[in-house]
Amino acid sequence: MTALTLAGIGHAYLGRTVLDNVELAVAPGEVVALVGASGCGKSTLVQIAAGIIEPMRGRTVRSYARQGMVFQEPRLMPWATAVDNIAYPLKLVGVPYGERRGRARAAAARVALAADDLGKFPVALSGGMRQRAAIARALVVEPDFVFFDEPFTALDQALKRRMQDLVIEAATMQAFAALFITHDLIEAVRIAHRIAVLDLNGRGVAGERTLPGVPGMRQDRDIFDEVQSFLHDDPLFCHINDVDERREA
Amino acid sequence: MTAARYIADRLLAAVRFLWGAWAGLAALAMLAALWQTGHEAYGDFILPAPLATLAAAATILTAPSNWTIALDTVRRALQGFAMATLAGLTAGLIAGYSAATMRLARPLITVILGVPPIAWIVLAMIWFGPTDGTVLLTIVIAAFPLMFAGAAEGVAGRDRSLDDMAKAFGAGVWRRVTTIGLRQVAAQVFPATTISLGTAFKVAVMAELLANTGGVGGALARARSNLDVAAALAWIMIVVAALIAVEYCVLHPIRSAFERWREAARPWGVKR
Repeated sequence: MTALTLAGIGHAYLGRTVLDNVELAVAPGEVVALVGASGCGKSTLVQIAAGIIEPMRGRTVRSYARQGMVFQEPRLMPWATAVDNIAYPLKLVGVPYGERRGRARAAAARVALAADDLGKFPVALSGGMRQRAAIARALVVEPDFVFFDEPFTALDQALKRRMQDLVIEAATMQAFAALFITHDLIEAVRIAHRIAVLDLNGRGVAGERTLPGVPGMRQDRDIFDEVQSFLHDDPLFCHINDVDERREA
Repeated sequence: MTAARYIADRLLAAVRFLWGAWAGLAALAMLAALWQTGHEAYGDFILPAPLATLAAAATILTAPSNWTIALDTVRRALQGFAMATLAGLTAGLIAGYSAATMRLARPLITVILGVPPIAWIVLAMIWFGPTDGTVLLTIVIAAFPLMFAGAAEGVAGRDRSLDDMAKAFGAGVWRRVTTIGLRQVAAQVFPATTISLGTAFKVAVMAELLANTGGVGGALARARSNLDVAAALAWIMIVVAALIAVEYCVLHPIRSAFERWREAARPWGVKR
């Protein structure tokens, strides 16, 4: 029983292969962090998994009911207020105006977005508030699968931790499965049940490590030790900090 | 936002808008001052004084038959503008979303723009005679490319990352166009709308004058044959006043409601 299965996924931009033969399965309620060097095709893979891009090869099987997604940038509609932005996915499925506003308020409360910020336009919100709104927008549909595409890369350290805690808490409470793209190993170890490492050239998943313990219950000390041992002793992670500038926009 | 808060917000915007009219009045007063200087240099026959022109316009508007003339022009201009806007937006949206259509349409637009408006009037006069059709066709031909380009540019320049976002939340093509695409096109189209409205009024008067179909253009032709400069200037003033009325009473309020979020980016300082 899996929530999401990627089978033999391959993709190319203008004839240049970025992904080939990627196999990945995510169980219901499981948070999988997908890490990999910069430019190895992580973003493309999550966009394929979420149905934004059609893969050139392979199959995506989605056996969940509702999905949400958080992008690297907040991607809020500048002309709509925060609450209307959060309610947008509900509008798409035809939830009546009053009800979707109520549910958007509830979702905003869950990510600690202040009630008097809800009437503001995105331009008037701080970077952290915008990303909170984007997370609330993903949670408002009560998803059983959420895609995260390096959502906290642009935030500062303290804010990043707060956001990670938010995600861990929401994932525990709402019991959704997630595919979380990141190149930050500490983030991956904090949030996920399992880490999958994408091959340096996008040629499949190079390997996987199941993490001990439960996200949210791990001590900072253990997280640090885990990351250090991955970086120094585990050959799977030796290319993780290699920088390759052939990143796709 | 609650309804009461929304109404209060819009009222505040209206007050701010009216307050902004002082700047407009100052600009008009400056124009009047220049005009007065010209009048004093060249005399009554070449350039009647602005106040005299204003008085002449007021006299013209006391006669109900003259109201009919002015409203005829306004009606034609608005009709032509509406037709050009509808056609231009539809064609522009299609061309924006379909690259093949765009490639076919661009040379055609260049051709339309390349034919001088006066040539279109001659053709329209032959096809329609001295009727509304001549005026409307000329307006549509003149204003259509503006609206087309505005809409097509709006689609081409839209933020595609928002499209992806909508797609991730399950929006189909049609929903993406209605909830994300059109909204972004609107921001691009508004400047084109004001220009094409102005064009519609100008072309309406020109076509009326040349095709002899009455309206303000007809009145101008009459003023010219009588060498009545005051009447000519007065009619021009009436047309410009009508254009300003339509633009500031209809277009600008719509635009400001659409661009409330831009105001939010400027919490203080000079508002538009």
